[in-house]
Amino acid sequence: MTFRSITVLVGIASLFAGLALPVARGQQAPGPVKVVQLTGLAGVKDNAKGTLSVENGQLHFVRGKASSDVNATSIQDVVTGADSQRAVGGTIGLMSMAAPYGGGRVLSLFRTKTDTLTVFYRDADGGVHGAIFTMAVGTADGIKKQLVAQGAHTTAPADSTPAATSPSKEQKQ
Amino acid sequence: MKRILDAAIKLSLFALIFSASPLLAQNNKPAKIKAAALQVEMIKSDEIKLPAEFQVALYENLIRQLEKKGFSHVYRDGDHNAASVADLVVLHSTVRGFKAGSERARQVTTVTGATSIMIHCQFTKPDGTSLLEQDVKGKVRFFGGNLKATYDFAKKAARVANENFSTPGHE
Repeated sequence: MTFRSITVLVGIASLFAGLALPVARGQQAPGPVKVVQLTGLAGVKDNAKGTLSVENGQLHFVRGKASSDVNATSIQDVVTGADSQRAVGGTIGLMSMAAPYGGGRVLSLFRTKTDTLTVFYRDADGGVHGAIFTMAVGTADGIKKQLVAQGAHTTAPADSTPAATSPSKEQKQ
Repeated sequence: MKRILDAAIKLSLFALIFSASPLLAQNNKPAKIKAAALQVEMIKSDEIKLPAEFQVALYENLIRQLEKKGFSHVYRDGDHNAASVADLVVLHSTVRGFKAGSERARQVTTVTGATSIMIHCQFTKPDGTSLLEQDVKGKVRFFGGNLKATYDFAKKAARVANENFSTPGHE
């Protein structure tokens, strides 16, 4: 009887843990997040991989020893979106196109979902800049919320899901 | 002998006409408009819903390509420094058509899934007087992601600017 009740308890606990996990994943990203900066950040090359965080009122992008900051209050708009990219990309992905019997084309069917974060900001002279980042699914909204909390402006509703802001689920650089 | 002389005269006349025609064509080309600097306004897409990443990629690529074409002073939208520049040309870009396409469809089928953007480019004086208007299309048909269409547009728009405007030290 005791063993049975323990089993039931463990089952219920597992069920609640399972339900809580996706919620926790959706709210993650308080720390640095691995991103790819597609374009727009001053002094950073296109398609640069690095980490993105929001610290002391700054959007902070770090790549190796170099870093780039954007003041949160200078951000005019933050937009999140959904995207996807080839699971097998780069040189290997390109070479796979030459695979016989359409093997490369089959590889193209496998794609991984990503989030995009687009930021419009002004420099010291008032000039408008835009920067685009891609990152793991579920992380863009966290960064957006942190930016808005630290003074960034946004035209999109705060609780809009990334999928809702993008007309196409498949948009990559 | 006379026939040979006639033929030689005719041949030399033809040669003269043919060699002069490219020069005449060059003279017919409209003179470039003087532009001390260019200011690029943010891409507008009031009628057509354009994803934010496309808007940013179009704008950033356009500025970069104009700088590559030799325009030494390219000001961004809202830059205070542009206000004091004489012979400033302002580039307004409005999205007239957008087809999102699909990278997956392109890679799997080769013939479908093209991404295309049609943008109306208007070059004006700071007071709004139009200097030049042209539709420029950006597209990606085979390789590359959807945002590559923005690069294609930027290159073409920069070429239009280069062909019609001259900056000091860059004719």
